[in-house]
Amino acid sequence: MRRLRVQLTVLLALLGMLVVAWGATIFLGARDAARTSQSLQSTIDRFDQLRRRSGELGGSFVSIETGRRAYLLTGDPATYQAQVRAERRSAQLFGRVRELAAPWPTLDPVIDGVADRYRSWLLAGRRELAARQTGGAGAAGLVAADRLADRQFQALRTQQADLEGRLADLQTVTARGQGRTYTAAQSLAVRTAVMVLAAVALITFYLRRAVGAPADALRSASGRLAGGDLETPVELGVENELGAVASDLETMRRRLAGRMEALERLRHLSAQVVGATSLQRLAEVALDGLQPEVGATRAALGAVHRNGQLRLRALAGFPDPGVADDIVKADQELRRLLPMAALRAGQVVGMPDVDRLVKPEILRELAARMGIRSLALVPLVSRGSFVGLLGLCWTEPHRLDREQEALLGLAGNQIAGALAAALRLEEAERAAGEARAVFYAIADGVLLTDPFGRVTAVNRALEALTGWTEEEARGRPYAEVLPVNDQQGGAVDLLTRYGRKVPVAVSSAPILDPRSRVVGGVDVVRDVSREREIDEVKSALISTVSHELRTPLTLIHGFAELLVLRDMSVERQRTAAEEILEASRRLARLIDDLLSVSRMESGRLVLDPRPLDLAAVVERILSPFRAMADRHTLRAKLPGALPVLWGDPDKVEQILTNLVGNAIKYSPEGGEVLVTVEHGEDSVQVSVRDQGIGMSPRDMGQLFEKFYRVDRDEVRRAGGTGLGLYITKRLVEMHGGRIWAESRPGVGSVFTFTLPTSGELAGSGAR
Amino acid sequence: MKLLIADDEPAVRALVHVTLEGDDYEILEAADGVEALEVARGESPSLVLLDIMMPRLDGLEVCRQLKSDPLTSDIVVVMLTAQAQDRDRDQGLAVGADDYFTKPFSPLALLNMVERVRQTQ
Repeated sequence: MRRLRVQLTVLLALLGMLVVAWGATIFLGARDAARTSQSLQSTIDRFDQLRRRSGELGGSFVSIETGRRAYLLTGDPATYQAQVRAERRSAQLFGRVRELAAPWPTLDPVIDGVADRYRSWLLAGRRELAARQTGGAGAAGLVAADRLADRQFQALRTQQADLEGRLADLQTVTARGQGRTYTAAQSLAVRTAVMVLAAVALITFYLRRAVGAPADALRSASGRLAGGDLETPVELGVENELGAVASDLETMRRRLAGRMEALERLRHLSAQVVGATSLQRLAEVALDGLQPEVGATRAALGAVHRNGQLRLRALAGFPDPGVADDIVKADQELRRLLPMAALRAGQVVGMPDVDRLVKPEILRELAARMGIRSLALVPLVSRGSFVGLLGLCWTEPHRLDREQEALLGLAGNQIAGALAAALRLEEAERAAGEARAVFYAIADGVLLTDPFGRVTAVNRALEALTGWTEEEARGRPYAEVLPVNDQQGGAVDLLTRYGRKVPVAVSSAPILDPRSRVVGGVDVVRDVSREREIDEVKSALISTVSHELRTPLTLIHGFAELLVLRDMSVERQRTAAEEILEASRRLARLIDDLLSVSRMESGRLVLDPRPLDLAAVVERILSPFRAMADRHTLRAKLPGALPVLWGDPDKVEQILTNLVGNAIKYSPEGGEVLVTVEHGEDSVQVSVRDQGIGMSPRDMGQLFEKFYRVDRDEVRRAGGTGLGLYITKRLVEMHGGRIWAESRPGVGSVFTFTLPTSGELAGSGAR
Repeated sequence: MKLLIADDEPAVRALVHVTLEGDDYEILEAADGVEALEVARGESPSLVLLDIMMPRLDGLEVCRQLKSDPLTSDIVVVMLTAQAQDRDRDQGLAVGADDYFTKPFSPLALLNMVERVRQTQ
């Protein structure tokens, strides 16, 4: 991994070394050159000295020759002396030359040659000198005639010139050597510079390959990441630090892509849960969405009920739905065990392994029944309020990692929103259902309209009232479904679909939204035909009662006034008194009947049941009729043995009296009235048969109604309150019996009632 | 003088009978409206005492028919009823009744009224 650094270090070291080598080369080259040049300079100086000494030597030779010749000519000792001094000087110079020429051994033979020639020369010269000294000038001349010394001198001069030539050559060569040294140093420096340049080029090339291109790739990869492209993998194919950065980036990309994917799944879950309207569906969707994320296979959804308590509402993924009962049974304990503080704070609570729990035995048992090993409690907090709890269950131990915990927290928020919405929907549906039930069940007709007066709903009562079904009525104008005409006196008549008029009371109100805008209207239509009927019955009752009361009153008043104010025969007086008596009886009967009806209707009329001998009762009521109605035949047909009935003797007597009285009243003179008692299976049946005027089927229908009187003059003439049969029927029914009539106009009527021989009396006790 | 008493109550008819007995009255009886019309047309009584609540045809209708028929419009019609509301009185007078007696009535007042009618004739 540190390869790049190592490589760079090596390269830089190499470069440094090259530069140092280069510098050293230049330095050493310069120093060498300087040194060489110095030594050459000293060599050249030596050469100069050597050449000077050599020249001096030549001069010294000339001085010797000059001295010698002068002495030979003159014999002047001074010249001799000068010659000796020159000789000495030459010897010194020879020594000096030899010393200076020591570094050049090649000069030694030349110098030796010069020295040999010098010695030879000196010898020849000395012979001449000796000859001069001894022989004088002549002798000397003889000796010098051969001119040996001169020749010798010439040769020496040649030799010496040769030496100087050699010295000059050597000096030239040396000077040339100095130039070569500079050239070598220069070429070394150039070569080193080329190598340094090559190294730099190499390093540059390497840096481009190992750093530049991967850096570009990294730059573009990071650009892609910044731009949100999490799809393209980050790969460099180099194994240095940049490669490591790239692989880190790739890891980052994968994690980000993973996060994005999780977010995407969360978004998907969110979309799914939002679509779930029932709590069951919500639990299933939540489990489906979270299973791939955390691996939980079962889920339980609880919601906070209106009373603030958490309740189990749905299960998902449990093979046996019966565990719901187990959970509900353990409700109380579970609620106590829940870490509510943490949950309310929105914290996901995990229980990695239920089997490791020690304390709450119940939880372990429940978990065993539910077949789960670990669970996570995900609080569902919507808009800051705790609305429910999602329990995720694993069949194996499972510990949530931080990422899963965070995901569950986020998912919890989504599910909470959906749960709150589902609960609101549930509540709204419940309220709407109640409202709908009330709307349809209400006994009065109710019609709803939109702001434009079109019908949106009608209830059952209105359907029955108008004849329109809700389906047909919907969308029609209000006035078409509910056509009403105002009548005088505030009453309203509704015209039904089939043309019937029904008196109704209509109350209307606008339906307002929270901003007081009209969003529709409601009309409540009450069928008041019954009330109107009751009103009519009431006024008819008052009219009848006042008529019935006034008629006997008129008679009493009239006959009494006549009795008081008029002279009448005794016979007339008696007739008047009888009329008064009959009228007051009638008045009393009417008042009795009215009181009976009133008591019956208010439930104050109670039976006083006792054992009852029906045969005796029949005989008892028949005897006064026999006495009065001497123009009718009254007969009773009784079976031999009658069971003892249980009834109120006074009331049974009243029933019989009414029926027999009617039979007599509506029969022509001479007619027969037959009372028959028969023993049925569980009842006794009593019939009263007459040969009277009879009734039409229309009259039969209303016969037992209050104040109903057959509208015939015979009936009018017979008088009556219209209450007798009504009272009779009520009394029979209070005894648990039935009453009915059969009749044919002109032939006669049969009124029959039954009295049960067993069972309870309907009217006994306080009613 | 002929007079007609129309009432479905036989006892009321008897009372009228007794009240006017002995003097020079020929008393005709009818038990319902239809019968009353028939008798009135047939016998042309000077006075008709009409009960309002009668079977078949009520007294108001009988009065209206009598008063609208030129042959019977001269007959003095006195309504005789148990109903004492103003509405009934107004209805009676509206159909042309000449007088109104409310039950219970005084037989002597009736006698006086009948006498007055007889003297105007």
